[in-house]
Amino acid sequence: MIKAKQKPIAEIQQLIAPYNNVLVLGCGTCVTISFAGGEKEVAMLASSLRIASAMAGKQHTFTEATVQRQCEWEFIDAIANQIKRADAVLSLACGVGVQALAERYPDKVILPGVNTTFLGMAVEHGVLVERCRACGDCVLGLTAGICPIARCAKNLLNGPCGGSQSGKCEVNPETDCAWQLIYDRLGRLGQLDRLDAIMPPKDWSKDYDGGPRKIVREDLKL
Amino acid sequence: MKSGSNLEKVLTSGQFAATGELGPPKSADPEVIRHKAAFLKGITDAVNITDNQTAIVRMSSISVGTMLLGLGVEPTIQMTCRDRNRLAIQSDLLGASALGIKNLLCLTGDHLKFGNHPTARGAHDLDSVQLLSMVKSMRDEKKFACGEEMDVEPRFFIGAAENPFADPFDYRPYRLGKKMAAGADFVQTQLIYNVPKFREFMRRVCDLGLDKKGFILAGVGPIKSIGMARYMQKSVPGMDVPEEVITRLKGVPKEKVREEGIRQCADMIREIREIPGVAGVHVMAIEWEEAVHQIMELAGLLPRPKV
Amino acid sequence: MTDKRDPPATSAEPLPPCVVACPAHTDVRGYVRAIARGDFEEAYRIAREPNPLPYICGKVCAHPCETKCRRNDVDEPVAICALKRVATELHDPRKGHAPGLSVGEPKEEKVAIIGAGPGGLTAAHDLARMGYKVTVFDSYPQLGGTLQYGIPLYRLPRETVETEIAPLRELGIEFVTNKRITDVDALLKDGFRAAFLAVGSQLGRKLRIPNADLPDVWVNMEFLRKVALGEKLDLAGRHVLVLGGGNVAIDVARTALRLGAKQVDMTCLESCTTQPAHAWEIAEALDEGVQMFHDRTFKEIVAENGKVKGVRCVTVSFRGFLPTGAPDMDEFPETEHVLPCDLVIFATGQGPDLSFLPQDGSVAQTRRRTIEVNPVTLATTKPGVFAGGDAVTGVGFIIDAIAAGHRAARSIDAFLRGLDPASVQPSEPEELGDLKEKTISHIRRLAREEMPKADVEERKASFAEVDLGYTRVQAMRAAQRCLTCGAGAKVDTDKCIACLTCVRICPYEVPILVRGTAEVVVDQCQACGLCATECPAKAISMTFDNDDDMTKDIRAAVRKAKGNGEPAIVGFACLYCAYGGNDPNVIKAKLPKNVRTVDVLCSGKVDELYLLKAFELGADGVFVAGCLEGVCHNEKGNVHAAQRVAYVKKLLDEIGLGGARLEMFNLSPQSCADMNATVATLTAKVKELGPSPVRRS
Repeated sequence: MIKAKQKPIAEIQQLIAPYNNVLVLGCGTCVTISFAGGEKEVAMLASSLRIASAMAGKQHTFTEATVQRQCEWEFIDAIANQIKRADAVLSLACGVGVQALAERYPDKVILPGVNTTFLGMAVEHGVLVERCRACGDCVLGLTAGICPIARCAKNLLNGPCGGSQSGKCEVNPETDCAWQLIYDRLGRLGQLDRLDAIMPPKDWSKDYDGGPRKIVREDLKL
Repeated sequence: MKSGSNLEKVLTSGQFAATGELGPPKSADPEVIRHKAAFLKGITDAVNITDNQTAIVRMSSISVGTMLLGLGVEPTIQMTCRDRNRLAIQSDLLGASALGIKNLLCLTGDHLKFGNHPTARGAHDLDSVQLLSMVKSMRDEKKFACGEEMDVEPRFFIGAAENPFADPFDYRPYRLGKKMAAGADFVQTQLIYNVPKFREFMRRVCDLGLDKKGFILAGVGPIKSIGMARYMQKSVPGMDVPEEVITRLKGVPKEKVREEGIRQCADMIREIREIPGVAGVHVMAIEWEEAVHQIMELAGLLPRPKV
Repeated sequence: MTDKRDPPATSAEPLPPCVVACPAHTDVRGYVRAIARGDFEEAYRIAREPNPLPYICGKVCAHPCETKCRRNDVDEPVAICALKRVATELHDPRKGHAPGLSVGEPKEEKVAIIGAGPGGLTAAHDLARMGYKVTVFDSYPQLGGTLQYGIPLYRLPRETVETEIAPLRELGIEFVTNKRITDVDALLKDGFRAAFLAVGSQLGRKLRIPNADLPDVWVNMEFLRKVALGEKLDLAGRHVLVLGGGNVAIDVARTALRLGAKQVDMTCLESCTTQPAHAWEIAEALDEGVQMFHDRTFKEIVAENGKVKGVRCVTVSFRGFLPTGAPDMDEFPETEHVLPCDLVIFATGQGPDLSFLPQDGSVAQTRRRTIEVNPVTLATTKPGVFAGGDAVTGVGFIIDAIAAGHRAARSIDAFLRGLDPASVQPSEPEELGDLKEKTISHIRRLAREEMPKADVEERKASFAEVDLGYTRVQAMRAAQRCLTCGAGAKVDTDKCIACLTCVRICPYEVPILVRGTAEVVVDQCQACGLCATECPAKAISMTFDNDDDMTKDIRAAVRKAKGNGEPAIVGFACLYCAYGGNDPNVIKAKLPKNVRTVDVLCSGKVDELYLLKAFELGADGVFVAGCLEGVCHNEKGNVHAAQRVAYVKKLLDEIGLGGARLEMFNLSPQSCADMNATVATLTAKVKELGPSPVRRS
């Protein structure tokens, strides 16, 4: 799932400073699960902004709403009136949602309230980790289910590098060395011989290096 | 001959090789090169030039290598995967070969986070193994990475690095083998201070027959101070500095530590030379190029063979 | 306390066993919850709604609700009956006896009620409220039936009965006492369109054993009635043996004791584990010195010259009564012995006096000599005549009679409007399932509040009330043991994104995933509120606590705390501990005017949004008072509250208001924590920071 983290409130205050009436718009899917932009976070942020605004003697008003997904036209169309009434929309959705709003409401200032950070999961409640880089060419079948693109700081395909120590990455002693993990798991699966094969250079054109990507399913088009 | 370099000739003639290292300056000043090259001329078989080592921007390896050629010193340029994509790498290698450079060390590169430009984007288009394959393919098949052919190929004596003390420890000999299979003609290890552990590593390497497939040079280097020793022991990932190494240095007065460090390095070279499978040493006197001469002398490695 | 109205949670099924077990389906859960929050008026209103005799029930109800209370599976049941008593005692009579109950348009029809016991009074109350002209006949001088003439004064003082019945007089009911109706048909001809026979079981029954008719062989109902009517019975020096082991037998025994008997014994068919009387009444009797002789059948009353010497008994192994009424038992003749006594009182059963029924049998009787009725409508075989209570069942509880009174009133109203009486009866509610072992393992064990009782030696010499009732503080503590069965968290599946927070955070391991969204299993939820507060999608709401009410409370608190020249401090106080085991009202009254608290049942319910709201509304300082580490009612509500407080403190620093304005205090319910001293530390800090710069327009 897409994981995001709310921007520091000082940054948000700067973004919304020129606008009197701001709609704080949450999203009920990924950012809710990341505890960054769901209905509750919207309420907390709006409350904090009201306090800050009142402290400064300003007259900002903050309205609140949350849609099921901001990355779906129908859902963001449904709140057209609320958006119309606002001077600006502070979207707590991931970058996809923010852009969808901007495309659908091109005459409205749409501002991002979170930093979309990575594709990942909660390994423990409250601890989110990156797991996938959406490289467009998944090699997890060759690396015992551990992604060297997302989890190796140098995205080695023939790792580990010389900086792997006690199973941890030289970049961050709390980060597992992905290649140690791959080595261990290939061992468990009896597939260590996979490491003899040289994985050829990656086709980065399938990643965003090839330009913004698109999937078209002719069989689904209405 | 793959490249016809001096280093290649020394190694293929079965003689014990000794290479040195030169760290380029964080400036555009060529005088630094002239100054450092003077210390290393004639006392090593080839001199490595680091490539933005520790992710700190320095004068580029290829340009310094070219200067060394002009100064009569054989260079071994280093190329990391961190800073260039495959286009830039191939392009630079074509140029380096055209300029007369014959020795190339292929590395992944230290992570950006360690350096002075941590907000930069790391290229990492290739990893070191893929780089070795690519260079070998350019040299032996005259092919670019995309498969297109070239008419005049760069002829490099290709090297790789290996850290015998990194994890997974059991896998390291196999990794060395993988690099040789990919294209490494020679391998330089990271600094060795734990000789018994290195001996064990070499035993496994020889069991795999890798000493016959390529030339393995052990990395050695003098310790300047107890502080430096402690730092390497505690703060540098992948470095194994046994306590005896530090104890030896503690046994002399403070002003004698540098000298003792040099002596210690020479003693280690003599010891390592006896280990089966070791084809030479790579002397890394970081920012202390002046010390190399004395180390080489004390280790009995002078004069260097003429091939 | 606030004007807060908890939703009528009994509209949503399944219902907890306490509500289902109550024949009147009192919203037990609702009134206990209100007491847990300290809202005794609201508790009274809820308890009174289905029951016109809550004070009486609060003292002597057989409380089948407690028998079925799910807390029995944990430790001991909630003291539901005693709580009703407190609510009634603390109810302000100026608010009216029946707050919220309506009175219908006056109607022409006259209805006769025969018997002014609990069943008759209830039917009269209901029908009068519907607008009918009701006349209640009773053959005794006082109203109340068994309440006056069957239950001893040490259990139910006269004042209680009178206090309870007085408001009924104001409903326009005509009460005719000292009048025994002998002709039901005449009543119907005399303008009464319907009648309800609620004559109770006033006739004690003796067993047919030799010498049962001697002068010193009495019978239960007559004995108790004589005492109630004020007849002087001096049993000084007598050795009394009561035959029978039920509740009435216990009443007889303890009454005999108070009339001066030297020794009172009881003997019955049942064993000590199967004796049918309530366990708590047996215990009180034993404390008072009554001796019990179990496992015996009585063969003969032994007499000499017409004077009772004892009762010949034989030990038995009794298994229960057969459908015919005969005992299913093995007798052991070789164990024959005589239990000595000089006065025997039969307490082996009673039945209704049906001699007043029409001789033609138009009001049919059952084989057990009770009135035959349709169990759904309570209609007898005579059209327009209904019957209920002990007259129908033989012997039941007061609350059964009350329920029968309601049922009869509904039937009579339907009958008079030409509707089918069966169609106006509510269906029986669906009951919650049992608590799982897993849930039980997480529930905090809490000892049941001891009911203060009059000293044993003093009380057995008089008819003064034995149970003294809970204090306000005891009542709140007792109510806080309630598990709030079936009225906990609910998930809005439209908003639920299955983030699994509720599944992970619940201290009782209750929520599960059903078809892709979370479900809080209604049978198991303990209403701790953690899932609702932590849900990032605000998809979970609590039946009894909601954001709107809390916002109103916060607004009121901030308003009251301001304008004193001192910093306005609002505190969220956990009712389990924050008041240090004292009456919250007493503590609140001692707080300085600038400190106002909002009560919560567990600090785990304090949402970050509430903290921010308080500051938004202009509070200068805010605190959360929760339990000490390790003693939270819900295992870790206080831990999560502390985490939230830390998070909001950071937020407040980031927006420049200052995190030091917010503090979490962990208080012990055992220590008589003086909240003033604790809050003073926050007030001092807030003073340093100055008044909140939040300007409200």
